[in-house]
Amino acid sequence: MSTDLPYAADAEVSLSYDELEVLKLQYEKELAQVHVTVQTKFNYAWGLVKSPMRDHQVEGVRLLQDLYRAEPTRRRECLYYLALGHYKMGNFEEARRFNGLLLEKEPTNMQALSLAQLIEKGVAREGYIGMALVGGAAAVGTILLAGLIRRATRK
Amino acid sequence: MTPRLLNASTVNSRQRSTVGNSTIGRSRMDFATLGRAPLRLGMGSRRITSRDLEIVEATEELLLSEVPEPEGVTSNVSLLRGFNATIPSAEQSRTRRKQMRSVDAPHLGLKKLGMNARGMLVDDDDGHSVTSEDDVVMVPRADTIRKTKRRKGRESLSASKILGKEELSRQKKEILRDKENISVRRSLINGEIAEITDKIQALDNIRNQLEQNLLKLHEDELELDDELVGVRERLEFEQESSRTPKKSSQPLHLLQSSRRRKGPAFLPSEHDELPPGVAFMTLESHETSITALDFSEPYGTLVSASQDDAQPIVWDLFSGTEIGRLRGHTGPVKCLQVEDHVCLSGSEDGTVRLWDLRRVESDDTDEWGDEGEIVSLSDITEESESGDEPLPRLNGIRKGKKPLELRNDPCTRVLEGHTKVVTALYFEDDCLVTGASDKTLRQWDLTTGQCVMTMDILWAMSHSSTSVPGSVTNGLFSGAAASIGTFVVPTPPFSDGSWEMYEDFVGGVQFWGYGLVSGSGDGAVRMWDMRTGQAHRTLLGHTGPVTSIQFDEIHIASGSLDKSIRIWDLRTGGVFETLKYDHAVTALQFDTRKLVAAAGENGIKVYNRTSMQQSTLSTNGHTHPVQRLRYMDRYLVSGGRDSTVKIWSL
Repeated sequence: MSTDLPYAADAEVSLSYDELEVLKLQYEKELAQVHVTVQTKFNYAWGLVKSPMRDHQVEGVRLLQDLYRAEPTRRRECLYYLALGHYKMGNFEEARRFNGLLLEKEPTNMQALSLAQLIEKGVAREGYIGMALVGGAAAVGTILLAGLIRRATRK
Repeated sequence: MTPRLLNASTVNSRQRSTVGNSTIGRSRMDFATLGRAPLRLGMGSRRITSRDLEIVEATEELLLSEVPEPEGVTSNVSLLRGFNATIPSAEQSRTRRKQMRSVDAPHLGLKKLGMNARGMLVDDDDGHSVTSEDDVVMVPRADTIRKTKRRKGRESLSASKILGKEELSRQKKEILRDKENISVRRSLINGEIAEITDKIQALDNIRNQLEQNLLKLHEDELELDDELVGVRERLEFEQESSRTPKKSSQPLHLLQSSRRRKGPAFLPSEHDELPPGVAFMTLESHETSITALDFSEPYGTLVSASQDDAQPIVWDLFSGTEIGRLRGHTGPVKCLQVEDHVCLSGSEDGTVRLWDLRRVESDDTDEWGDEGEIVSLSDITEESESGDEPLPRLNGIRKGKKPLELRNDPCTRVLEGHTKVVTALYFEDDCLVTGASDKTLRQWDLTTGQCVMTMDILWAMSHSSTSVPGSVTNGLFSGAAASIGTFVVPTPPFSDGSWEMYEDFVGGVQFWGYGLVSGSGDGAVRMWDMRTGQAHRTLLGHTGPVTSIQFDEIHIASGSLDKSIRIWDLRTGGVFETLKYDHAVTALQFDTRKLVAAAGENGIKVYNRTSMQQSTLSTNGHTHPVQRLRYMDRYLVSGGRDSTVKIWSL
């Protein structure tokens, strides 16, 4: 089972609108019948997570959390999907923690390991962008400062 | 300035995640993490909705919950497997294959049909197939083959097409995969079904539980009703007694009506802590089977008699110790009744004796000590009762009693009249009714000790049988046989195989007002009018001697050697309920909520009249069949053939 998880790349491939619509209809139909099967819920949630729209992703993660709460036997799997969902949303901190918990349970899980790397990469990239921003700001600041000083000294 | 801002933003935006994050987060506070902060700040344009916050907030809770090993369906079919097997695109290849085969047929929109069949598509009618165009491999038709085959007339369309090896093997693979998907879906559905079965089971259990709670509430309500009636009676009585504080020369009998009939008992709070249905005390001085017992009140005074023993034992139920014996009878005691400190006993010597239990002393201990204890106990439990009353009563007893040789002889009166064994008695206030094997019932005035009336059961039998034709169906006891010899019937064997000769012609009597009910050896339950001394109704149904009876406002309960208890409707005389047992019933007592019976088994039978459920008390119970029992409120005393007396908490 441990190998039966999608790689992170899979999460980037979104379903077509129709497919998502079918999943949604199925989910809503079962919701109206009060009993929602785990699979249906997951299908919809996973479809949402795969979607490029952030609102969809958020909803997907929320559904996954519901699943996680309601189905203790599915928790381990859900850990991964939650990590993946958070990763996709850019919540690297949450993603890392869910993935970390999964790796605690299954240290050899390939998908989880690769996801961990991706998360690190994502964190680093954000970091670099951030540093660049800070650097840029600092540079502008120094230039301004230098200008001010120069103006001051010129007087 | 910049670093400060940077820090502040870090705290603000990531407060939540860093709180419980000390294990991972701390170690990760590196360069890159620091660098992310301004990015977050800069990415303020990204909308953070309440849902975002919601899911981030839930993280902690989710991470804390336990992650068990997957089992059952969950370990066989992963969610992704299920996903791949159930999403619409899983049907793609199939649709495609069908499209390929049905070249001549018009496009049927198979996918849509399939979707409709599974209830997935509801209103989408644009017929747009998910199948991408490049999935469909068009193979040129081999017209020549088609033409030659066409001549054979009707044949399958598929045979008219050549798809090519590559395509066929691809289809084969696809079909295999589809089959696998099917099995995945099957196991998913099976899993769901199993889960729903579990849920239904769980819900059923909850429902049962709730129904029981409902019953319990109903019982509680009844209990409260009873208590209310009891308290009201008590109130009336106390108002009455306060209005007429000095009644001239109180006889030793109690003003209040029998507590056996009504009202809450005042149990010490420790009693509530006892586990229900368990015998918590055993009294073991008797050497033979218990034949009669009664007690004044919970944790009060108990008198118990056993076979072949003319001296009933008086017990202090609070300490479980023997106080003394009632000496006087010359034959074994068959029946007993205790009200407060007054005890009446009927014996095989044909006499009934009236005892003052306050004067019972043990052979070796100081009498006043024991007496004081009993008195104080009764004082505690019936607060208002005490005060100045005991003394006049005592005087009354002394006045009334015959000059006996001993000043402290507990026996205050001997009632003589029956010619045979006194087998049943019941008294209330100054009125006593006894039943004996001489087949008569006698009514006595306890203040004078005189027999007021004699009711002849034989006469009633011979006359009622004519008034109710076919009533002597119980060939148990024909009138002629009855009139001659003594009444002797072997009991059906008890659960331990033992049996005995049953000789008690009158199994039980009870009266209220002028209404008297008796249960006798001919299996009849008779209702008498004590003003006329006539039996005005006979309830027939038991096929064995009646061993015990009791009635309340609505019902009469009678237990018989025919292994049943019948509950009769007092007004109509019809059978309201029949309870069947495996062995002969020797004793019973009931109230509105339950019926407790000794039914020839080691365990005591308790029938819940509300829920109609039978239960058996046997924890720490008798080792031989139970013979006699009495209870008040939740305090039960039973005597068995194992010659022990057990005290139970109900």
